[in-house]
Amino acid sequence: MTDAPGWLDRFVDSLPERGWFQFLSRYVVVPYWAWRDPKPKLPGGPRPAAQPGENLQCMMNLIMPLKDPSPVGRAKAALAIAQNVDAIFDGLDNVGTVHTARFLLLDGNLCMISVYDGDFSNYIRDFIVTIGSVFDEIMDLVVGGEELKPTAQNVDKFIAWVHAHDLFQAPDFPTDLFTLQDEAKGVGPGGPPHELRSLPRALILQLHANPNISLGGGYRAYPGFSAAQVRAKFGVGW
Amino acid sequence: MPEPDIADTLVAFLNADGIPGKRPVHAWGIGASGVFVPSPVAGSFCIADHFQEKLPEGYPKKPQVVSVTVRFSNGSGSRQNDGAAGPHDGWSDVRGMATRFHLGDGSATDLIAMSLPEFFTPTPETFLDFARDALPRPFRRETPWQKLRDMLHLTLPLPDPYPGQVSRPDDGAMDYADRNRSAQLAVFQAASIGAPVSYVRATYHAVHTFFVIAPDGTRRGVRFIWQPIAGALNIDLRDPAQQDKVTRPYLQQELRDRLAKGPARFSLMMMIGETGDDFDDSTRPWPPHRVRVMMGTLTLDTVIDCEHLSFNPLLLTRGIEPSGDPILAVREWAYQKSSQVRGGVPCPFSQR
Amino acid sequence: MTAAFAPSTFDPATLQGNILRGYRLGRVRYLILEVGGQAEDRARARRFLAAAAEGGSAEVPAITRESSGKWAGGARPDTCFNIGLTAEGLRALGVADQHLATFPAEFTDGMTKRAMKLGDFDDSASAHWPAPFDQPRRVHIIASVYADDEGRIDEVQRKIADAFTVLGHRDGRNLAEDKVFFGYRDSISQPRFAEVQDPERSQDSEPVDPLGTVLLGFPNRFEGVLFSVPSPDVLGRCGSFNAFRILAQDAAGFEDYLDAAATRLLAHPLVDQVLEPGGEARIGRGLDRFGALREIVAAQMCGRWRNGVPYETSADAQLPDPPEAAVSLTNFDYSRTSACPAGSHLRRCNPRGGPIVQRIANYTRRLVRRGMSYGPDFDPATRDRSERGLLGNFIGANLGAQFEAVMCDWLNLGLQDPDVTGSNDPLIGANRVETSWFDLRLRDGGSIRLREIPRFVTTRGGAYTFLPSLPAIRYLAGLTG
Repeated sequence: MTDAPGWLDRFVDSLPERGWFQFLSRYVVVPYWAWRDPKPKLPGGPRPAAQPGENLQCMMNLIMPLKDPSPVGRAKAALAIAQNVDAIFDGLDNVGTVHTARFLLLDGNLCMISVYDGDFSNYIRDFIVTIGSVFDEIMDLVVGGEELKPTAQNVDKFIAWVHAHDLFQAPDFPTDLFTLQDEAKGVGPGGPPHELRSLPRALILQLHANPNISLGGGYRAYPGFSAAQVRAKFGVGW
Repeated sequence: MPEPDIADTLVAFLNADGIPGKRPVHAWGIGASGVFVPSPVAGSFCIADHFQEKLPEGYPKKPQVVSVTVRFSNGSGSRQNDGAAGPHDGWSDVRGMATRFHLGDGSATDLIAMSLPEFFTPTPETFLDFARDALPRPFRRETPWQKLRDMLHLTLPLPDPYPGQVSRPDDGAMDYADRNRSAQLAVFQAASIGAPVSYVRATYHAVHTFFVIAPDGTRRGVRFIWQPIAGALNIDLRDPAQQDKVTRPYLQQELRDRLAKGPARFSLMMMIGETGDDFDDSTRPWPPHRVRVMMGTLTLDTVIDCEHLSFNPLLLTRGIEPSGDPILAVREWAYQKSSQVRGGVPCPFSQR
Repeated sequence: MTAAFAPSTFDPATLQGNILRGYRLGRVRYLILEVGGQAEDRARARRFLAAAAEGGSAEVPAITRESSGKWAGGARPDTCFNIGLTAEGLRALGVADQHLATFPAEFTDGMTKRAMKLGDFDDSASAHWPAPFDQPRRVHIIASVYADDEGRIDEVQRKIADAFTVLGHRDGRNLAEDKVFFGYRDSISQPRFAEVQDPERSQDSEPVDPLGTVLLGFPNRFEGVLFSVPSPDVLGRCGSFNAFRILAQDAAGFEDYLDAAATRLLAHPLVDQVLEPGGEARIGRGLDRFGALREIVAAQMCGRWRNGVPYETSADAQLPDPPEAAVSLTNFDYSRTSACPAGSHLRRCNPRGGPIVQRIANYTRRLVRRGMSYGPDFDPATRDRSERGLLGNFIGANLGAQFEAVMCDWLNLGLQDPDVTGSNDPLIGANRVETSWFDLRLRDGGSIRLREIPRFVTTRGGAYTFLPSLPAIRYLAGLTG
C-alpha cells in the first residue's frame, strides 16, 4: 500500500498549528461562516424538561458585566455583597430550594453561581421577593441594571434579564446542538437532519453567538434530590 | 414470529464481512474471571440473587461474593483488515464487556455492555439498513485539497488510515447519520471513541433499559454502567512512545500482565429512569442527572479462556426484566443464531 | 415608584364579568376566533369590539361586566359574553410590537411554547391537539358565551360570526351537583376579594385575597412586589390573564385504577390502618370493604371525598356525624401531621397555610378557576371511553407566578414537600405507569406507596389569553392600520 503521506499532506496537516493559518481562521473563515450561517444566541439556564432529575439541582451561572470594571468598581461590588451577606443567606433559607449560591468577581463581571431546585422563574421571583433590595444595590453597579430598578416592580423584566445573562448550557449530548439551533430558528425536530460532519462548525458558530457557555449541565454526586430532601434526610429540618 | 427472521438476516449479513469461525462482531476477545460484591443498598432496589449482600454467621462478617466471568472485546472484526494479522487494538473502535454472574443456584445472568453510551438505531429494521450502509468501504487518505476544504468549512476531519487499514465503516455510517437523526449521536461518538490503554480502563454501558424488581414489588426502569475504578484512559498516538500500539496488538497481553500483578476493579452504577425518559429507545442515553445507585464492585484477577462461551443480553434472572426495546428483543435471537453458526457452546436459550 | 404603578382604583364597571366571579349559568360555548387578514376584516372586528364594549346593539352582543353583587336581587342576565385575546390576537388587531414586548414572556410565547412546564408532552403535546388548536398562530380570540339555553348561545354565535372567522368551538355544561367526571364535587375553594360581596362565602376562614391576585395594577400577595402593567396603560391596567385549557379526563381509567388500588390494599397487611374494620358505613351507604377502600383512595388522591367533604377535617368519614351539611367545606388548614396527604391534588394546588419548602410562597400562587365539563355523561357502571373532560380557565394577574408556578413546581415535581418531591399530582399530573407513585396516608401516620398510576388527564387544546378591561377593549377598537 503506497499511502504514505507526501510533503503536501504533511504541510496541510500542520496548518492548524501555524500562526498565519490560525489568524486566517479567526479573522476570515469564522466571520465568513458567521455571516453565511448565523446562529441565534441561545437562551441561558436549564431547558424545561419532564424529568424530575432535570428539575432538581439546576445550575445557574449568572454573569453580570460591571459598569466600572476597575478595581474601584469591583471593590464596590465586593462591598455590596459583603454588606448584605446576612440578608442573602436568610433570604435563600426562606426561598427553601437553593443548594448552594456564591458570588465571584471574574474579570469585569460579577457572577452568581448557584444550584437550585425547580423552575428558574420561580427561583428568581422568590429571590426578589425576599432580597430584592440587595439586588437593587447590585443593579446600580451592572450594565443595564438601572432599567430593572426597583426589581420588585419589574419582576418579569428582571427574570428575562437574568435569563439572558445566565450562561447557555451546552447539551449533555453533542449532536443535540443541532436540535437546539433548529428550535431557535423555529424548525421542529421533524426537520431535515444536519450533515453530521458539520457539527464542529455548528459549535464554533454557536460560540460566536454565545462566547461564554456552561459545558453541559454539570456533575452531581447525588442527582435527583432536592435541598429539602437532603436536609430532611440529615435530620436538620427544612 | 418476526424476531428470528430479522435476527437471521442480521447475523447472516454481519457474518458476510466477519472472520470465519469467530463472532460476526466483537470477534477478538479475552476472558477474565473474578468476583462481584453487591453494595449494601443494591438489595433494596433489586431482588436478583447477585445483588443481595450476604453476611455469613460469625465475626468478623465478610460479605459473600458472586463469581463472575467477563469477556472483553474489540467491536469490529473485519475480514479485509484483520484476517491473520490479529486484532488492531490501537485503532479507534467500540469495545465490549460481557459479564456473566454465576448465581448461587447454579444458574447465571448476563450483562452485556459496550464503550459506546448508546446504540446506532432504535429498531432491528433500521439497524439492518444501518449495517448495510456502514459496511466497511475501501478508502484512502483524504487529499490535501480535501483536507483544506474541510478546514475552511470547519467540518469534522476524516482520520487518515492506520498503517495497513484498507477499509472502514465510518464513511457509510456518516452517510446514514446524515439522513437519520437518531443515529447521529452514536456515529459521532463512535467516530472519536479512540482506543483504551487497557480493557479495564474504559467505561462500559449496558445501553438498554431493564426493569429491576425491588423487595416491595416496585419495578424501576434502569440502565447499568460499569465504571473503571482506575479511570478511563485512551492511548495517545501523538506520544511517540505509544505509536507502536497502532501496529501491534496489545490489549490482551496488557490484561494478562496487569492481572498478574494485581486485580482490576469496576463500579456498577445503576441509573433510574424517570417520567419523560424513553425506556424502549437505546439511541437516547439518559443525561447524568438521574438518581444513580451504586450497585456493587467487580474485581477481576485472572485471565481465562472463555471464547467458547455464548453470552446473551436476555439471559436474565428473577428480579431483572427486559424493557420493550426492540433492539434488545432481537439481540436474544441474534446472539443465539450467531452462536450456532460458529459452533460455540450452545446458547443458554437453545434448550427452549 | 415608576409612573406605571400609579395605584389603580377599583371600578367594577370597567371589568369583564367572568374574572372576579362565575355566572352560574348551565352552559358555555367557547368560540375560537380569527381576525381576518385584510384591512376590512380588521375594521369589522374593531367595530364589533367597539359596539360590544358600549353595551351591544342589534347585531353585536354586549360584553358582560362585573356586577359586584348587583345581581343579588335576581336581575341576572340570561346570556353572558366575554372575550380573551392571545398575543397573536392583539397583534392581529394592530397592537404595536413595542407594546406587545411589554407583556410577560409566557403570554407572548403562547401556551404551546410552554409545553414542558405545563406537562404537555407525550399524548398531551400540542402536536396532537385537534383543530383549531393545531394552528396556534391563528387562534386570536377565545370568546365565551354563557347561558342556560343553547338557543341563546346560537344567537350570540351568529352575531359573532359576522365579524370574525369562527375556527371552531367547544361546548361545556355543568354536570349535576357541580360534579366533574371523576365524580368529585368541584369549584369549592376560590380566591375571594374584599371588594366582591359573596354572602355564601362570608364565613370562609382563608385569608381574603388582594385584587392584584387577578387584576393588573393592584397590590398582590407578594409584599412590595407589583406585576408589570403592560403598555399602553389603558390596555394593560385592570386586565387579567387566563390559561384556557381543554383537559380530557379518563374517567373510565380512573375508576379502573381505583379498582386496582383497592384490590391491592385488600391484600395489604396494613389494610386496617387504611380503613378501620367496620368503618365502611361512614365511607358510603351500602359500600363493602372493597368499595370503601376505593373511595378512600379517591379521597386521598384529591384531598376531598367525592361529595366535597375535606379529607383533612373528616379523614375517617365521607358521611360524617354530624352530617355533611354541618361540615365546612372551606375552613381548614394543613400541618405536618395532616390527615390529608401532602401529595394530594388539593394540597399541591393550594397548600394553604401548611408547611411548604418555599416558605415565602404560601398563598402567593392562588388562582381563579372556572370550568365546565364537555362530552357525554359518564356511568361508572359501564365505563365507556368516549372523550370527555373539562373546559378550564385558570385566571390570574401573572401566568408565570401563578398558573405555571403551580403546574411545574407543585402539581408536577412536588417541590413543596420533600416527602412528595419527584412525584406528580395523582389526579391530573403528567404521570406514567412506570414511574408514578402516591403515598396513601395511614391512620397511624404511616404510609403505603401506591404505584403504576396512569395519566388520567390529557391536554387537548388551549391558549394563553389576556382578559382586557372595558377601556382596553375600547382602545383595541380604536386602533388603526
